[in-house]
Amino acid sequence: MTVAELKNDGKACAMDTAHVSSSRDLRVVIDLIVNGERVIEEVEPNMLLLHFLRDKLKLFGAKESCGEGECGACTVLMNGYAVTSCLVLAVEANGAEILTVEGLSKGNELSILQQEFIFQDALQCGFCTPGMLMSARGLLDKNPNPTDEEIREAMAGNLCRCTGYLQIFDAVKRAAEREREEREE
Amino acid sequence: MLSQFDYVKPLVLNEALAALAKEDNSYVLAGGTDLLIMLRHNLINARHIIDIKGIPELNELRFVENEGLTIGANVVVNTLIDSELVKNKYKALHDAASCLASFQLRNRATLVGNICNASPGADLPPALLVYDAVVKIASVDGVREIPLVEFFTGVKKTVLTKNELVLSVFLPDPGENDTSCYLRQTRLKGHDLSTVGVACRLDGKGKVAVAIGAVAPTPLRLTALEAEINEKGISEETILWAADAINEHIKPISDVRSSEAYRRHMASILMKRCLVTLTGKEV
Repeated sequence: MTVAELKNDGKACAMDTAHVSSSRDLRVVIDLIVNGERVIEEVEPNMLLLHFLRDKLKLFGAKESCGEGECGACTVLMNGYAVTSCLVLAVEANGAEILTVEGLSKGNELSILQQEFIFQDALQCGFCTPGMLMSARGLLDKNPNPTDEEIREAMAGNLCRCTGYLQIFDAVKRAAEREREEREE
Repeated sequence: MLSQFDYVKPLVLNEALAALAKEDNSYVLAGGTDLLIMLRHNLINARHIIDIKGIPELNELRFVENEGLTIGANVVVNTLIDSELVKNKYKALHDAASCLASFQLRNRATLVGNICNASPGADLPPALLVYDAVVKIASVDGVREIPLVEFFTGVKKTVLTKNELVLSVFLPDPGENDTSCYLRQTRLKGHDLSTVGVACRLDGKGKVAVAIGAVAPTPLRLTALEAEINEKGISEETILWAADAINEHIKPISDVRSSEAYRRHMASILMKRCLVTLTGKEV
């Protein structure tokens, strides 16, 4: 099935297996949800999820830095779990739900987590921030009431050269509190 | 850009095994946290990638009383950390899993992948070795089971042949009153392979088991040392003796993470700390 056919086929849904589009080239069609919107694209099997997001979808929030899962700058949520998108093939995201930093705000209104990164001065150059935000989002979605140690553990895979981490920790902790307050209201 | 390969995601085991047997240069993909780095650095010539995450039976994480724990090839490390059963029954495995890489990587990395990568400094093998882990391996020719202690054959080398797939790792039920721990030394407080990692188990009968990583081409189960410790019986003197004696059983090298001398020193310290942790004795 080609992308055009798939896109025209209203019944097509997320598939369990990636379909090889032809025997001559290696490209496969992937069908996934990115920031709440369905995306159907043809990709090479050797394309990384990170490059798919940046190069195909023009979502430049996730950053490429180490390329080896050490720095966390490319962190996105895949089916709710924080993953380093430089170590995931785009084809592996077939059928998955991906959330990137672009999906955190509602229109122009920043999420509580994003607001707290600003209020607590949790960024300077900003390069690590999308990854930091996604690791924090992944934590708070699974564990809305994390201990200090759980926050540190969840954020420890994200490196920051500017802030010294304390403000980032404060931002996540404060965001957790505000999100709890908001739910209780 | 990674080299070119095709990608299949079989939904049944036999299809995966057939795909593995059919083509050379086929590689199994589960978490991908080691495989993608090897691809990135062109360390392997992969032409065919077989993603096993669609095979339901490899997702198994199941404990049967008086039998043991089966950890399927798709079980990721964070699932093990979150398991109360692993924490209560196989504490060393919980400890080792908790210090493996970062949170994001543990959301992808699998225990089976960690042993198949066969890094001498990997954290999980020592913890598995003290629990007499057995590896279940399949190919188109059938299934075989081998003890983990025979699985590693060298640096990044295992007994696996090109067409074999590890289905699961099995840990026998340790029974009552069994405790264990895994302690390691790293260069920095953060994410690093261990400089030395020691797993130690004190079973319900008071017998000690010891395994160690990053001090030889493969993770080691130190059965000779265990026998001597068990013969002497656990006491303050035995603990101090074992801390010295462990150095006769390891062959560390100097490398980017540590000198040989420091590895020997830390092996000794960690041996002592493990026994102190498990026995509650003060030395």
